[in-house]
Amino acid sequence: MRRAVITGAGAVSAFGVGLPALFDGLAEGRAAVGEIRSFDASTFPVHVAGEVPIAAIDAQWLAREMGAVPGGEAIADRAAATGALRDRKVAFALLAAAEAWRSAGSPATGPKARLSFAVGLEQAFFEDLAPLWTGGSVDWSREPDAPLPAVRFRSPVDLGPRLVARLLGLRAPLVIHSSACAAGALAVAHAAALIERGEADLVLCGGADSMVNPLGIGGLARIGAPSPRNEPDACRPFDRRRDGLAIGEGAAAFVIEDESRARSRGARVRARVLGWGSTQDGYRATAPRPDGAAARRAMERALRRAGVVPERVGYVNAHGTGTPLNDPAESLAIRGALDGAAVPVSSIKGAVGHLMSASGAIELAACLLAFERGLLPGTAHHRERDPDCPIDVIGERPRRARVEVVLSNSFGFGGQNVTVALGNPEAAS
Amino acid sequence: MSAPVAIVGAGAVSAFGIGWRGLGRAVAAGDLQPRESALLRDSHPGTLASEVGEIPTALDAGNARARKLMSRAARLAAIAMREALVAAGFDERREEIGAWMGVGASGIAMEDVPAIVSASFVDGGLSLHRLGDQGLLACNPLFTFQTLNNFSLCHGAILEGLGGPNAAFFSRGSGTAVALAEAVHALRAGECDRAIAGGADTALHPVTWAELQRDGFSAQGLLPGEGAAVLALAREASPALGLLESCTAVAGAQEGAAAVFRELERLPPRADLVVIAPWGTPPRAWLGDMAASRYSGAAVVDVSLRLGDSLAATPALAWVAALDLLRPGERAVVLTAGVDGDLTAAVFRKESP
Repeated sequence: MRRAVITGAGAVSAFGVGLPALFDGLAEGRAAVGEIRSFDASTFPVHVAGEVPIAAIDAQWLAREMGAVPGGEAIADRAAATGALRDRKVAFALLAAAEAWRSAGSPATGPKARLSFAVGLEQAFFEDLAPLWTGGSVDWSREPDAPLPAVRFRSPVDLGPRLVARLLGLRAPLVIHSSACAAGALAVAHAAALIERGEADLVLCGGADSMVNPLGIGGLARIGAPSPRNEPDACRPFDRRRDGLAIGEGAAAFVIEDESRARSRGARVRARVLGWGSTQDGYRATAPRPDGAAARRAMERALRRAGVVPERVGYVNAHGTGTPLNDPAESLAIRGALDGAAVPVSSIKGAVGHLMSASGAIELAACLLAFERGLLPGTAHHRERDPDCPIDVIGERPRRARVEVVLSNSFGFGGQNVTVALGNPEAAS
Repeated sequence: MSAPVAIVGAGAVSAFGIGWRGLGRAVAAGDLQPRESALLRDSHPGTLASEVGEIPTALDAGNARARKLMSRAARLAAIAMREALVAAGFDERREEIGAWMGVGASGIAMEDVPAIVSASFVDGGLSLHRLGDQGLLACNPLFTFQTLNNFSLCHGAILEGLGGPNAAFFSRGSGTAVALAEAVHALRAGECDRAIAGGADTALHPVTWAELQRDGFSAQGLLPGEGAAVLALAREASPALGLLESCTAVAGAQEGAAAVFRELERLPPRADLVVIAPWGTPPRAWLGDMAASRYSGAAVVDVSLRLGDSLAATPALAWVAALDLLRPGERAVVLTAGVDGDLTAAVFRKESP
């Protein structure tokens, strides 16, 4: 029987570039949401975010941060020359993928190496309409001669993944997950499925996203999802005073392969992907099901597929957006799926923000902290318990624990729910 | 995929109208003619396209309020999903039905753009200050929902109360084949006993069409299209509209035609019908050659000549066209070549009574 394991991991977050930066930030109980610096957001209704601490992204910076990856410089140059780096998540995808691949021991990528990656929306470049704007409308006949880069008006959805595939020599059709905030976890689940089914011998998976741009921030602000307070503690998951999410950006990537193959090449197994489950709310476009029933079924499906009883679950990394509606519904789901057991729960969204399509991926990366440092991440800005969230929420500081199985929840706009179960590689199978 | 799964219903929206029965025959008979696109009339006047006509209110997706949240692709998807579910008789335990869709790019209503631009541009350029304090207030507050690509799956799921396993894949062809393959895997693995899978998209959004022109696809014969098509699947059913034997995506752009031909050697040696959906002239030539050399004697129908290329919807529309043309005892191979450079291959069979 083939079993999917994680042998490489990389991350980009508001704590900086690299998985160690994420681990250190979480281990020290820090939070990194603050004023937006990459553009002037001072007049925007929302002007704080969990922003990756780099103001401007260029080819030199990207190539340097990618580290020792053959062809990295050429890819960075190409991305810059075409205007691809206008979209920050393109660079984040490349950085996380390069780190994951290096940390897996730079494995060979043959014909059965695949890519299963989540990305967010196209970034809209509103300013590109300026040369076409005439008499109160867009004159598209001017477009062919407009002095604009190749990547214009909007970044193609698959722009980052295509560059990652080129970087790592992945030649099979790319699988691009487009399931909003559930996409990153679905990409990892899909990768594990490809390994278990024998359709791939190695999968680079994960997600990258950034809505820290004028129309991204503006659009989310218009639908009222972010906290209106514009404070560093904008997101307070499961806290009685919570009033909305904090927008984040970044990426996480993993190398997933069959356990026997990984062990035979001497790779370090960092986690087992035990199971996953997905459901849909089928409820409303703008709100989750208040009873958490569909989210609960996603958790139960993941446990069933993993062959794990609730008592073996030592930690739940919650979707925990800090919005008034999500957290009570998710609390009901967690209590229901785990038979009311007092399992420690936390959300890292107070610390790094909501990475949207990459949130499921970065949160699975955060789960590795439990296996590798024996620490369960804390919940930044969680100070006042909410009786509507009757679960064991880990406070602002991480909690020391040795756990066998962790669950990570991701719920997307539109009602897509996914739970992924990871197993400690040092625990008995 | 090993054992075939049963196709127990289908739904489609295309230039042919709402519905899939008769679509393949209309395409084969040449009854559908490209016409000047109404959707592109303001931005790209005179563009010939395969465009969905006016949708009768009684057959539209959701109510007027719900449609304000929908992109055009999401709206078409919701209609096709409803049709497929009704045709399949999937009326009970809908919270257990799985759903996988190939979805396209964002498509906010262009009517919103002038208001934002007018309020945000100063001296011919974008002012971030103005966008932040005036431009955002000038637009439809719900436009963000129109940009969410996964809503081509979710609106239909919400309207129809679907709650099973699911995923949305970005697609310019191959992602839609992945959606169908994943639905089959889920059925086979027992993750669900019923599922829907398909694709929805439009190439008739001004930004999308500008991209396709800029990338040289229109100059090489791409006819822009739009639509949605969905198959309803069950692990076992009798009678069934047809059986799905296999569905794969093959990397064309990266691997080259030789690898594609090699991969297609895995397809069954016999087919009575070959439906091809090439995005334009170059793949039309080699898909036609491939069909002729591997399946001599089979009828070949090119759906893209009439339905154009509707990106994420293209493979799904080709599948339902094949289903319409397939006669009892026959096997159909459906080959599509998308603008992503990838090729998809699906094999269908209709059992004799």
